[in-house]
Amino acid sequence: MDQHHPAEAPAVRAWDRPIIVMPTFALVAAVGGLFGSFTLEANLLVLAAGGTLFWLGLTGRVARRPAPSRLAPGFAWWFAPLALFAAVELFTFAMKDPVNWPTLSLLADPVLENYLARAACYFGWLTAFWGLVRR
Amino acid sequence: MTKVLVIALFVLAFAAFAVLGWLARSEDSKIPSFGDVAAIVMQYEVGRIPVGRIAVLGFWWWVGWHFFAR
Repeated sequence: MDQHHPAEAPAVRAWDRPIIVMPTFALVAAVGGLFGSFTLEANLLVLAAGGTLFWLGLTGRVARRPAPSRLAPGFAWWFAPLALFAAVELFTFAMKDPVNWPTLSLLADPVLENYLARAACYFGWLTAFWGLVRR
Repeated sequence: MTKVLVIALFVLAFAAFAVLGWLARSEDSKIPSFGDVAAIVMQYEVGRIPVGRIAVLGFWWWVGWHFFAR
């Protein structure tokens, strides 16, 4: 029996295009940039935007790019930056000294207080999320 | 001083990530794109549960919450 996996579904919905999705993300990012951390608005927006993308990613309602059957042999190189990042993050977190050994989020906080930086990072987060949903 | 070291190591990690992404773009590259690596991870299922997709998408959702809301 020929059964289609959601990852192979060929149907492309009208809104599933960069010309629709990117301006939508830009709008969400522009609004998200207004909300500071620890506010109800920021929590609700991340909950709504992330929840929608999470749901789209799990239900297969978005056309996905076909996954490779196997990876090129150099895939292990990706572990180098990931391992370095994880090691630094875990070490600084374990040190419990935010002044001398800040984690990435502590370093990012003053940057994200700026509206443009926060909105740009918000846009990057949404775009990367979209890229994952389509895989 | 240690703070500068931490920043330098984070910058090094992100720079290495960017360089690998650039190297993966050429057609005869032996390094797959990060998207292809993520796609393989996201294909992992236990029974009919898409554990890989839940883990990757859930992690990225958490990243957004951690940086923009917490």
